[in-house]
Amino acid sequence: MTDWTLDELNHWDEKICEVGATFGLNWFDIDYEIIDYHEMISAMSYTGLPTHYRHWSFGKAYERTHTLYNAGASGLPYEMIINSNPSISYLMSENPMHIHILTMAHCIGHSDFFKNNRTFAQTSPELVIPKFKAAAKYVKTLIEDPSIGIQEVEDILDASHAIKYQVPRFPGIKRHSRSALKQIYAQKILDDNTGEYDDFDIHKIPLERDYNILSFIMEHSRNLTEWQRNLISIVEENSHYFIPQALTKIMNEGWAVLMHEKIVQELNLPDKYYIPFLKLHNQVVRPHLGRINPYHLGYNIFKRLEAQSGFEACLLAREVHNDITFLRNYLDEEMCQALNLFSYSYKQKEDQSSIDETSDALGWEKVRDSLISNIGLNSIPVIYVEEMQKDHTLILRHEHDGRDLDMKYARKVFDYIRDLWGDEINLFTVLENDLWEF
Amino acid sequence: MSTFREHKSIVDRAAADRGRHKKKLEKAIKESIKDVIADESIIGQNGKKKIRIAVKGIKEYRFIYGNNEKNGQAGSGGKHDLKRGQRIGEKRARKGASDNAGNEQGEETYEVEITLEDLAEYLFADLELPDLDKKHFRYLSEDVMRRKGYRFEGIRPRLSKKETLKRKIKRKKRAIRASAHDPDANERFPFHKNDLKYHYMKPHPKENTSAVVFFLMDVSGSMTTEKKYIARSYFFLLYQFLRHKYDKIEVVFISHTTTASRVSEDEFFQRSTTGGTMMSSALEVELEIINKEYHPNSWNIYTFYAGDGENWQSDNNSAVNLLSSLKEVNQMIVYTEISPNRTHPEEEEEAASTWTGPTFAAWREEDRDSMWTMCTHLMDTKFKRLLLTKSDQIWDSFKEIFGIKA
Repeated sequence: MTDWTLDELNHWDEKICEVGATFGLNWFDIDYEIIDYHEMISAMSYTGLPTHYRHWSFGKAYERTHTLYNAGASGLPYEMIINSNPSISYLMSENPMHIHILTMAHCIGHSDFFKNNRTFAQTSPELVIPKFKAAAKYVKTLIEDPSIGIQEVEDILDASHAIKYQVPRFPGIKRHSRSALKQIYAQKILDDNTGEYDDFDIHKIPLERDYNILSFIMEHSRNLTEWQRNLISIVEENSHYFIPQALTKIMNEGWAVLMHEKIVQELNLPDKYYIPFLKLHNQVVRPHLGRINPYHLGYNIFKRLEAQSGFEACLLAREVHNDITFLRNYLDEEMCQALNLFSYSYKQKEDQSSIDETSDALGWEKVRDSLISNIGLNSIPVIYVEEMQKDHTLILRHEHDGRDLDMKYARKVFDYIRDLWGDEINLFTVLENDLWEF
Repeated sequence: MSTFREHKSIVDRAAADRGRHKKKLEKAIKESIKDVIADESIIGQNGKKKIRIAVKGIKEYRFIYGNNEKNGQAGSGGKHDLKRGQRIGEKRARKGASDNAGNEQGEETYEVEITLEDLAEYLFADLELPDLDKKHFRYLSEDVMRRKGYRFEGIRPRLSKKETLKRKIKRKKRAIRASAHDPDANERFPFHKNDLKYHYMKPHPKENTSAVVFFLMDVSGSMTTEKKYIARSYFFLLYQFLRHKYDKIEVVFISHTTTASRVSEDEFFQRSTTGGTMMSSALEVELEIINKEYHPNSWNIYTFYAGDGENWQSDNNSAVNLLSSLKEVNQMIVYTEISPNRTHPEEEEEAASTWTGPTFAAWREEDRDSMWTMCTHLMDTKFKRLLLTKSDQIWDSFKEIFGIKA
């Protein structure tokens, strides 16, 4: 049973948009799709994208989400929005009105963030849907092609997915073609007065560390067919859509929560909506014990920034920062203490985790650094292509920052990369302070 | 202003990927089947019923950091007082699925919904059925008459009009060539006795694909809930397996104490009665039902007996006699003892062979008159004997009785 009508949705949307505009927000138009529970789970499995290529991992995501919600491990879904123009968001028809109001106000915050934050400047939101659609169509033709079929398609996708985040982490930097890069280095050698480039081999591949393993394999493997290269390219392109989101999760959610709170406060909601709204809002921003709730962290930082420097400062922050710079700037001792943050690690000897630092004067910086080293893409190890030898052996190296790889996982990914590359590969990392070679 | 669109989807877009995922999961499902079989909730249900089973997830590998001291994490402490060195979380060894976001190291398990029919598919896919067919699934055969070729002699109802007409046409053509008949003249060309051809009917053996399964169980006081629970899982598996093999299958439940009666499935598993144990009573009822309803010529008969082996000694002889007469009409009889406290006979033998101390013949003596020992001489491909001590043995025992090495 629903307690709302389409007219009511329109009514509240109109008000929410009015209020949003008075705060100086500037967002893409939003298309709300009203869908049922199963469609919601489906949409969530495909990370909200209304069209996506087929892969069993999305079926897995569906089963897992469905199980989690059924087991009550997680509340019912209420918000999901994708960075396109117009923004596409989903309202679950089973949800009551107060959740829709929160969702709609929240989505305006997200859409405003997508449109204004500079991390998203190069994402061309107009092209998001057409790109995913074209990819879905292409994968479908490959699956239906009797000479290829689903198994071969999956082999490439499985392997590519394993390294889908091994792409450059700074959005908006164009990948140079090899010939363009060659010219750059030729120029450097010509302009070199210090002898730095005396031993530089202009013919080596790659000319500089290549962090984009997928693109490198696509460009340089001698064992791939055209459709296989195209598939790898599709996965690589998809990653570029997700990277800005991974870089701004805390800010994006914090901003959306701050805005839904501010907007709803101006709506003069009747009690029957306002009281359950408050309850839900408090659930959203509660700390998750022993973990980081991005809604809680982002919201509290914005909230204090507003109290100290005014809303204008918040508007500016949402434009220029990403999570890393945001936390470095605003997560100070006072904030760490207020949120009672701590760092911990797993102790092999005791077979248990224990607290390393708490947010007192001595420890808060370490806590903050621990936190920053685990947010978004920082939780993913950096691997780069160092060299392609004459016999096509590929040399990969892990940029070791003190944290060792999970060897079991690394071994599996190693196998995937070798399958994809088709010639021998080596992977170097550091394990317990010793050089380790796969 | 935003726009709203009520989405009416015609297709379940995730269906294909879920199906594909499920295929990948089948292996994992097979691995958890032992646990599923031991689970009470699946028994006595029809094949369309969906059950949820917990399956280890298929991992999606990527580069991740190991969980160790060098990889510090951060979290919020809520309103708790925190101290350095304070232990948090559970010991890893006890920890099940980890829901730590972005950390897939914990064994990921989740529930998959499958129908009992699917489950049976998975179960028996392993069992190399073609071999089994020859060995243990003799179908009864019955002769049916089938048309095969033609003869010149026959009875009128078997006349083949087509062949007869063909012969007549041939004869007419010959007559025309020999100028014995003028087709243009308005002259009749009648059938001749030699034109007539008849279908020939030959007896043909036909496989009979209907089966009846008798489940016999001791429900006397000594059969505890635990034992019944094992019996139930075991019967379920047998039923599913046979149902898989035959087109038509009927099940008869007979429970007994000192007297036996035919009962419904629910009563069979739920009713608990006190009293002594006379296995022969159940066998008599079975024989009676076979004589009345299931003629051995048209039914493949299977009998599965489950009890705890505590049959009254005075009854053992008549029970064995009945078993041997039932063996004549059954495709297979399996005598099963469920005794959670007993060691498996093989282990016993092993223990005996390594035992160097004095032997106590009297102990063995006591066993000599037990049902278990007394039915030894009946054992062959049609008669099996089985001891279950734990529910997780069911699957292996099952494979054992059908002659498959695990």
